Parts: sequence; C-alpha cells; structure tokens
Amino acid sequence: MSNENTPLGRVTISPRAIATIAYQAARQSYGVVGLTSKNLMEGITQVIVKDPTHGIEVKYDDQKISIDIYVIIEYGTRIKSVASSVSNTVKFNVEKALGMPVEEVNVHVRGLRVSNTD
Amino acid sequence: MDIEEQDNTVPKQLYPNQKYPVDGQVFKTLIESSLTWLRTNQQAVNILNVFPVPDGDTGTNMVLTMQAACDEIANSSERNIGKLTRMVAHGALMGARGNSGVILSQLWRGFARALDNFEVMNGQLLVDALHQGRNTAYKGVVRPVEGTILTVAKDITAEAEISLADTQDPYDILERIVVAADASVQKTPELLAVLKEAGVVDAGGKGLFYILEGMFRYIKGLPLDVASDAVLPISAMKLENTLDSIEPGQDFEVVVDFHPNKELNIPQFYEDLQHIGTSIQLGEGDGIYRMHIHVPADRVYDPIQYTKSLGIVTKAAIENLRVQVENIEHEHGSSIQFTPVEPGQIATIAVAPGPGIARVFASLGVSAIVEGGQTMNPSTQEILNAFDHLPTDQVVILPNNKNIILTAKAAAQLTVKHVTVIPSRSVPQGMAAMMRLIASGEVEEVVTDMNAAMSDVETGEVTTATRSVEIDGVNVTEGQIISLLNGKLVIASDNLKDATLGLLKKAHADHFELITLFYGSDVSRMEVDAIVDSIRKKFPKQEIEVQDGGQPHYHFIISIE
Repeated sequence: MSNENTPLGRVTISPRAIATIAYQAARQSYGVVGLTSKNLMEGITQVIVKDPTHGIEVKYDDQKISIDIYVIIEYGTRIKSVASSVSNTVKFNVEKALGMPVEEVNVHVRGLRVSNTD
Repeated sequence: MDIEEQDNTVPKQLYPNQKYPVDGQVFKTLIESSLTWLRTNQQAVNILNVFPVPDGDTGTNMVLTMQAACDEIANSSERNIGKLTRMVAHGALMGARGNSGVILSQLWRGFARALDNFEVMNGQLLVDALHQGRNTAYKGVVRPVEGTILTVAKDITAEAEISLADTQDPYDILERIVVAADASVQKTPELLAVLKEAGVVDAGGKGLFYILEGMFRYIKGLPLDVASDAVLPISAMKLENTLDSIEPGQDFEVVVDFHPNKELNIPQFYEDLQHIGTSIQLGEGDGIYRMHIHVPADRVYDPIQYTKSLGIVTKAAIENLRVQVENIEHEHGSSIQFTPVEPGQIATIAVAPGPGIARVFASLGVSAIVEGGQTMNPSTQEILNAFDHLPTDQVVILPNNKNIILTAKAAAQLTVKHVTVIPSRSVPQGMAAMMRLIASGEVEEVVTDMNAAMSDVETGEVTTATRSVEIDGVNVTEGQIISLLNGKLVIASDNLKDATLGLLKKAHADHFELITLFYGSDVSRMEVDAIVDSIRKKFPKQEIEVQDGGQPHYHFIISIE
C-alpha cells in the first residue's frame, strides 16, 4: 500500500490500482498479444472474473514498487526488444500516474502466439 | 548465391525516371537509399520523440533496425525479390531496436511474405506486400494506438490500393504512397493527443515516411545526404557567429510598401534594385507590394526614390542594422558562458530557477542549464534537449528540486547516452555536488563523490506562505514569511529579517564556515544589504557571501556549509 500525506489527510494507493495501470500500459505495448497468469489455477479463476489486472503482480514495500508482468508475445518479433519496451512503457505510465519511482519491472515471457509462420 | 551471375546488367546507378524492373538487386539499391536518407534525417526524427512513448531515440532505433536489414543483404547478389526481401525481413527482425524498430521489422516481415518466390515486383505485388505488411504489424498488438507508425502503414496501403486503378507501375505507386505517407504523418497529432500537446508529429511515422521517401528520392536522382529540414537545437546554432558576418554595405534595412501605377515588371525590378543593395525581397498582397532591402549608409534613401518612380509609396521604414547587431552583441556579453565539453568527458546539466543561479552553475563548469524550479518544472523534452546535442555520451543531471528528480530520470531513459541523475533536492545541494566534478574523471567515482558532497551542505529557503496551514508543528498564516531547512518548515514570521535569522539559528549556522545567500527577483538589494548586515552581527565568525540568484517566489535560497 502506497501512502502519502496531504494537508487534508492520507492518500493510499493499493497494489491493485497500480496493477490496473500496468495492465493497460502492457496491453498498449507493441508486440504484446496477451497477458497471462503466473500459474494455471489463478488463470482459470481470473478468466472467469475478467480481472483488469490479469497477469500483473505488484509488490510494494517501503518506498519500493516492483512489478512482475506475465506476457504472451507475437511470434516473429524480436523478443528482447519487445520485452524491454514493455518494461519501459509500464514503468513510465505507472510513474507518471503515481509520481513515485518504480524500482523494477520484471517481464516474464510465458509464451508466443503464432499468427503467421514464415 | 551464384557469383558468376553478377554482371553489369544490374544498374549500379538508376538515373532519374528510368524504370528498371524491380528485382532483388534494384530493390537492394532502393533499401540502401532508404537507410541513407533515414540516417540523414535521424536527428529530425529523434527530436520528435515525446512521452508517453518511452522509446529511446526513435530515429536512432529505426536507423539501427534498417542498418541490420541492409547488412544482411550487403554482399548478396540475389536477383529474386522474394528471396531478397526475406533476407531484409530477417535482418530487420534480428536488429529490431525499440518499439518503432519492432514494428518496422513486422512491416518488413509481412512485406516479404507476400513477395515470397516472386522474381520481380509489379504494381499489384507491391500493393499486396504493403497489405501484408500492414496486417502483420497490426497483429502484433492488442490495442493498436492510432496516430503512430501503424496508422501511416495503414494509410499508405489504402492509397496504394486506390492507385492500382490508375497504374500498374510500382514506381508510380511509390510516388503516390510517399505523398500519402507525408499527409498521414501530418495527421497524426489529430489522432494522438500527446502529439498535439507537444506540437509534434509521430516520430515512428515520420521515420517510415523517410524510408519511403529515400527510395523515391533515389529514383528521382535527388541527393540523399542533405537533410530536407535541418533541425538543430537553438543552443547548437551559433547565433553569435552569424552576427559577426554582416558584410559592409548592409548598414541599413529599408522596407517600403508601395502601390505601382502599372503592372510591376518583377525581373526588371530586381535587376534595378541589385544596383542599390542586397538581400532583396518582394512580397505582394491586395495590389500593394512590400519591398525589403539592405543598403549601405549612403544609399538609404535610394530604394524609396526608386519605388516612388514606380507608383505611390504608402509606407517606408528604415532601420540601422549596425545598432541592432551591437545591441545583440551587448546582450551576448552578459550571457552565460558554458564550459565546452570534449567527447568522452562528463557533461553536467543543472536545473536552475533563476538567471543568477544559472550563472553560478555555469561558473562551476556545467555544460548546459535548464530553466526550472518549484513552480515551473521543466519537461522531460527540455531536459533531453539540453544534453542531447552535447558531443559526449557521459551526462550527469542535477535536478536541484525534488519535483524535478523524476522528470530528469525520465529524460535519462529517453536517450542512448549514459545519464546519471544526482538526486539533488535544492540549489545548494546541486552546487555542493558541482564542486566535486572532475569532467575527465571516471564516471562512477565522480558520481559517488558528487552524491556524497550533497550531505555536506544545509539548505535554507525563505518564501511567502500561500495559504494558512499547520505543518511540522509550525502555525502559518497566509502571507507570512516562512523558512524551510532542508525542505522542512522551521519558522513562520511576519518579516523577512526574522525569518532569515531564525532559519540560520535553527540550522546551527555558527557551527559552519560559509553562508551563501542567493536573493530572489522580488527582494531589493537594499533590503538584502540590511539583512546581511544583521546576519554578520549574529554570525561574526562565518564568511557570508551574497549572490543575485534571480529566482522567483523564494526571497532567499541559502547554502550553509
């Protein structure tokens, strides 16, 4: 939980809210064709509830935000470039929305989607 | 690959408007032209980069991607266009850098797939290939953002399809899609709000335009090594040098509005004026002409006499250029001199809230200043512009305000240069860090030193409260003078002198050696002198320095060390 004191009171931001920002950013990242869960069980429940933070894990402790993203990337793209662009986009969008530094973004490529075989 | 087949039937140079069948070797030449032209305009594309597209340098990334594609075919004598474009796609894929590079590689991938195994490319095949390229690129993202390179790819495909009704010639189609690409790029700000806010077009889209235009320019025999629109940061343009070069005979500028009696013979008009002066320009609107000319001092009235002979003079203005130049030169004399940086050295960029503070930073050896402070945070782009053109890739940024640290870090992400942000939260911290700069030193060591130096100094700030509040146990009424020590509110007072003295006391200034006061733009020198006198009385053992900081809002920024 991220906290900030204002003259009127306290503002708290939940990891889930951060995950939603990261999710939207990841989906706009070129080369990412889907987000996926860390494990299968979680995957099934999340598909049922249409979670807006699917495939994102946010950890927050002591001024440090770290984000894990589980993605599926389009086959035939340079995975390294796509992954680094995902982490940049997510980091930037979260920092812009929160005004707090993101310590790390880990991108886990869980699979590739094949639309075209060349 | 059959080396013996490499003969002279393949043109080494295509001459203007000669249309060879587009086989592998012709296409190779076209792609190399794309790369050359893109590289020529690389900086123009880089400059367009805006958030939220954290894509490093779009121009550089696209050049590197195209470079990898060209490297792949550099030694190939493949005549089959299908096979050659496949190599291009492979090279682009392997070398894809950044978002736009990945998209570009996808465009090539689809393009190559459509041409698979064809010997030469006709109009229909070009359209199919563009189509496939677009489809492949769009498949690579869940939520395509419009107003980007994707949109440009889509628009050129649409134009190519339309043009197929008029022509089967791939060169003609290329000509039409270059125009369409340009129009599409110009439209990107309408589709993507961030571009509009920043007043730029999309960088990736522009890059794609240059790739197509490079091919087109080659075919038309136009040069590929001179950028179409030279873009230079203002700081890189040596304005003062251009001023020195005012030639004799250009002492006065004369502007005359006139209404000719009969239709103006323009060639004759220019011919006559050339005997009088230089830099002649003529504009027309509603039957009135405006003539503009530079003349030597003794011919000031000749242009007016001359135009009088042609018709009715409605207005004439004369300006002494010498005086103009001298004024500018005078201003330059008081301008800030930065320390030039050599390649490989560490360049430092400081954010400064006022001209006086900027001057002090300059004297400490910074290479560039970005204006900004508490209520005027600079943009990422402004910070980026400050160091992007410097001839070194080692950059250190001193944000000098806690609100700017993040922006500086964002700027650091946007460049291929090695940028370190020293998290200086105040001007005194930034200056303390600057003292430790060794431009030719080892970056890691210098940065560690600079970071450590920041704790050697205490920062005091004196400003006026903008609202009534209680913070850190201090009650403040709106309009009172408040003092902050290292960012924490310590004193509220009704007058500047008490607030300043109280601050120094709280900071235990008597245990330090040097107190430097930077006074703001809203305090008079007299006021400052009075306060400094009382500080000297209270702290007789400390050395007191006073500088005109010129910052807004803050009456004093005080460094205690």
